[in-house]
Amino acid sequence: MAYPYASDREVRVISEYFGDPEARTLDGAKRRGRYKGLEKALSMSPDDVVEVVKASGLRGRGGAGFPTGLKWSFMPKNYDRPHYLCCNADESEPGTFKDRELMRWDPHQLIEACLLASYAIRARHAYIYCRGEFFETNQVLAKAVEEAYADGIIGADVMGSGHEIDVTVHVGAGAYICGEETGLMNSLEGRRGEPRTKPPFPAAAGVFGMPTTVNNVETLCAAPHIVAHGAEWYRQWGSEKSPGTKLFCVSGHVNKPGNYELALGFPLIELIEDVCGGMRDGNALKAVIPGGSSVAIMDADEARRCALDYEGVAACGSMLGCASVIVMDETTDIVKQVRRMAAFYAHESCGQCTPCREGTSWVTKILRRIEEGRGTEEDLDTLIELTTQMVGTTICVLSDSVAPPVQSSISKFRDEYLALIRRGERVGAA
Amino acid sequence: MSGSVPYRNPGWAGNTGEFQLSEAQVRGDDFVGTRPLAGGHASGSASYPYMLEEKRPDAPLFEGPYQDRLDKILTRYPDKRAALLPVLNLAQEVRGHVSPETMDRVAELLELPRAYVRGVTTFYTMYNKRPVGRFLIQVCTNISCNLCGADDVMEAFLRYANTEPGETSAEGDFTVVEAECLAGCGFPTCVQINSRYYENVQPLDVPKICERLRARGR
Amino acid sequence: MAESSPAETVTLTIDGRQVTVPRGTTLLQAAERVGTRVPHYCYHPGLSAPAMCRLCLVEIEKAPKLVPSCITQAADGQVVHTQSEEPLAMRRGVLEFYLQNHPLDCPICDQSGECKLQDYAHAEGRVHGRGREPKRVFGRDDFGGDVVFYGDRCVMCTRCVRFMNEIEQDPRLTVVERGDRSIIDTFFEEGLEGTHYHGNIVDICPVGALLSKDFLFKQRAWDLDHTPSVCPGCSQGCNIELHTRDNLVQRLRPRVNLDVNGHWMCDHGRLDYEWINRGDRVEVPLVGDGREARATGWRAALTSLLERLDGAGPVRAVVSPRLANEDLGAVRALVDALGGGEIVYRSRRAPAEVPLKGFPKLARRRDLEPNVNAARLLGMERVGGDDGTGGLAPFAAHGGVLIVAGDELADQPPDFGERARLYVYLGQHPTAAASRAHFVLPITNFAEQEGSFTNHEHRVQRFWPALEPPGAARPGWLVLGALLAERAGEAAPTRAEVAFERIGAFEGLTYERVGTGGAPIGEDRALPAEAAGGRA
Repeated sequence: MAYPYASDREVRVISEYFGDPEARTLDGAKRRGRYKGLEKALSMSPDDVVEVVKASGLRGRGGAGFPTGLKWSFMPKNYDRPHYLCCNADESEPGTFKDRELMRWDPHQLIEACLLASYAIRARHAYIYCRGEFFETNQVLAKAVEEAYADGIIGADVMGSGHEIDVTVHVGAGAYICGEETGLMNSLEGRRGEPRTKPPFPAAAGVFGMPTTVNNVETLCAAPHIVAHGAEWYRQWGSEKSPGTKLFCVSGHVNKPGNYELALGFPLIELIEDVCGGMRDGNALKAVIPGGSSVAIMDADEARRCALDYEGVAACGSMLGCASVIVMDETTDIVKQVRRMAAFYAHESCGQCTPCREGTSWVTKILRRIEEGRGTEEDLDTLIELTTQMVGTTICVLSDSVAPPVQSSISKFRDEYLALIRRGERVGAA
Repeated sequence: MSGSVPYRNPGWAGNTGEFQLSEAQVRGDDFVGTRPLAGGHASGSASYPYMLEEKRPDAPLFEGPYQDRLDKILTRYPDKRAALLPVLNLAQEVRGHVSPETMDRVAELLELPRAYVRGVTTFYTMYNKRPVGRFLIQVCTNISCNLCGADDVMEAFLRYANTEPGETSAEGDFTVVEAECLAGCGFPTCVQINSRYYENVQPLDVPKICERLRARGR
Repeated sequence: MAESSPAETVTLTIDGRQVTVPRGTTLLQAAERVGTRVPHYCYHPGLSAPAMCRLCLVEIEKAPKLVPSCITQAADGQVVHTQSEEPLAMRRGVLEFYLQNHPLDCPICDQSGECKLQDYAHAEGRVHGRGREPKRVFGRDDFGGDVVFYGDRCVMCTRCVRFMNEIEQDPRLTVVERGDRSIIDTFFEEGLEGTHYHGNIVDICPVGALLSKDFLFKQRAWDLDHTPSVCPGCSQGCNIELHTRDNLVQRLRPRVNLDVNGHWMCDHGRLDYEWINRGDRVEVPLVGDGREARATGWRAALTSLLERLDGAGPVRAVVSPRLANEDLGAVRALVDALGGGEIVYRSRRAPAEVPLKGFPKLARRRDLEPNVNAARLLGMERVGGDDGTGGLAPFAAHGGVLIVAGDELADQPPDFGERARLYVYLGQHPTAAASRAHFVLPITNFAEQEGSFTNHEHRVQRFWPALEPPGAARPGWLVLGALLAERAGEAAPTRAEVAFERIGAFEGLTYERVGTGGAPIGEDRALPAEAAGGRA
């Protein structure tokens, strides 16, 4: 099964039961093999679980691609203080819609994963920080957690192992920056979701000042499968540096947008042409954003030769990010879309660091002016300089995220900017 | 919008022709909207808010089942401060928005400075700082939806409600706002109306959706 | 780096100069040691450092990116550049962002001239701004108390929020909204009214966002002279600066002294300075017969007084605890020279202390006069009520030598001292109760003279003259010192330092030792803390 479209090119590990309503129930989930990975993990030592995940090469699916097993291994190896697991389910990167699907179709997969990870990092409490807007999804998840508690899977004696792990579904209240791990921790503590400076790193002093690991939903969901089947099994997909499968969220001008789980390294053009049923209306491909709104835009040529893994996308001058593939056809007004992304960052900047607070809104204002036909060529240089000044000067990387879309669009679609500047013309403005 | 996209049942993504599911199956109606006001198991007591049509700005906070839910929420965190977001959610569920009086009450309850509570409340967009209509319509106009005509959908909602962005329509039914990415990018345009997601919304669907809403509870 | 080294210090190179600093010192502090002030807004030595202004970025060789120097600890062997190309370019960029929405209203801004945005933009910013977009407008907000907020000038460093949270510990301020809509505010109309240290947020605001209503539009910062002094508002003895112009005190600002007041002072002390500027002053010595007085010169007045001093009967004196140690010591010496007698002082006392919770050494003390402790050390006794009045009945009717120094006697009737055979009034202001005085001698206040106070924990702290004394007014110690010296045939003290060293109670201390930061008197001479009861 898949949802809402199926493709036989997929390798469905974590998305196997998308579109299968029965997987939401505990019975249904158990029949589908959920909690087998956890059962196996509980028979191993926590450090062995970490080793397996390390060996699998699983990398964080939230955008940064940090090796998950390594992250887990930073946690102190004792029970002196409470440890916490935070599952980052505050999905809000434009173009990304995988975590919501993972939670609403297969909540027990995530619960199992949270328990497994908690066991591995010696946490007694896992918080699933869900986006507040995901009302329906959160209800599905909360009910699944409740069922798992009633069944003794969560609680004082996890699956009869003698280990105590609690799971709490926590909801945010609308702030993209709470998807940043330190912003998430501040928000979970009941503060403004402003990112913290590092060090201290979360593994030393995270949420409530205690050792903490923050993992994305998709990352966690892969872990039980890896433990159940072994690291080598997971490495049968993908490349040496980017092993495994990944959910690709395809949106924009394709006939069949949706989530597709593919082995890393899948050719981007085949994803568009084959898996997603080609371009809408048979229009020509103009540009692709391969990893959510914070990465560089690729033009059609780059997209045609791009392989979808961390290294392959980097080789084409962009980033895999959270693998949110936004496809744009020839009717797309690039300037407008870049402005819309910049406006998003201006709206979501937490406002702590000046380059971000002032820069995001300044860039948006300039783009808006260009869009309205009142721009100058110098504005393009200013945009590039301003966005450069916003990189590496702030606490978190929200500010850095503005540079790739703005700079890549100016270098690759300069003509469109110039057309607006010179004649006030706009592509696709019919 | 391109005319070649097949017309779908408005408001949810599923009837794509690839395989058949009912709207209830996609949404998980067995799960959604069935959680008790008292919060159910404590683990999910912070998984709200319901966004209710009925707004009672002066209703008492934390009474009856809400008191139970509050008590459960407090058991899930090592300190009271951490309960601030869930408690504000709860307060908004009851009253429809978070007024200065509500912030004051929450501050007192959680033993936090009032100014601090205001600072936190204003940081998050989901807390309505002023009253909203029976239906808060949040239209995602971010890139993926925008590519597929979200601006037209926004326009259609505004035209139907005959109001300005952020304002409430004359009869108090609709408040239409532009929202940032709602993580429904594969089902553009994605619209959140109160607690519920409406997906694959096209301008043509808007009057039908709104009429259905308006008819409810009247 | 040599993390495991047990040494207490680390040695690093900053801008090509080697410096050794205690372990735990930040790069920003270490840079100050070599004379480099790295620009910064959010960092303040008295507060936590959130590292959010992004202005203090410096380069460490071999580090992947620039680091905020305010929170990065110095480590052995680091090679740090604060003025190299990369950090300068970065700071130039950050400063441009600061100016993007700034109204540039320096000509009408009180902070102009002492504004860190002006300073940094001038030193390191771009010559021309590139902003063409309309600026964001927040407007102005009355925060209550003495504070007015100009939102458009704010750089969002949050020093004020952190001061109220961490130091005053009455968290009235917060950041509301987010992104470029963020602004400092209180809980709606709550404001700062009723807090006791909020004036400090005006001091620590690096720009003109938080301003003092008292000082608003009063003076330009560059016209003010700054003189180190000690706050006369209570017995805490906060180190301050007197900011003066036109021979008037325009405002008080705290001066850093980590042993006494840190970086702070209270609002009571800060705003209680108008009395220093009073225009009704005694400007020349007056010699009278108890009914009529005539102006004269100092020599004539003192010569005449000297002739009448001896044989006029038993001595009694009333002093003000606002007088300096040197003045009080001179009164003590005079009374002793005349055979001894009772010396009393009157002082205002508050019902309770007002401690600064985040800096517990500092409190607005119960004693609202600066030098009650010197008076007590010199064997003077407190009389009267907590409002600083009354208690003078035996003095009003005293029949021998009556000396009043500094006490304005505002509550006393015109016939005060009418029975005295010799009534000498040394004071700043003409007063009805001095009308029967045989000698009215003009003396200076603490802002007009050099001297010292002794604070609540018997710490001696010096102050310096900031104002020209009016007319012929002279320091009390100079006047009495001359008188005593003439009487004893000795050399008169001509400097406050000499007058200070002649006071037995401060033996062992010198002005040099007291310096600008003060010094405690010896343990053996200190009085127990709570013995300051009054005789009604």
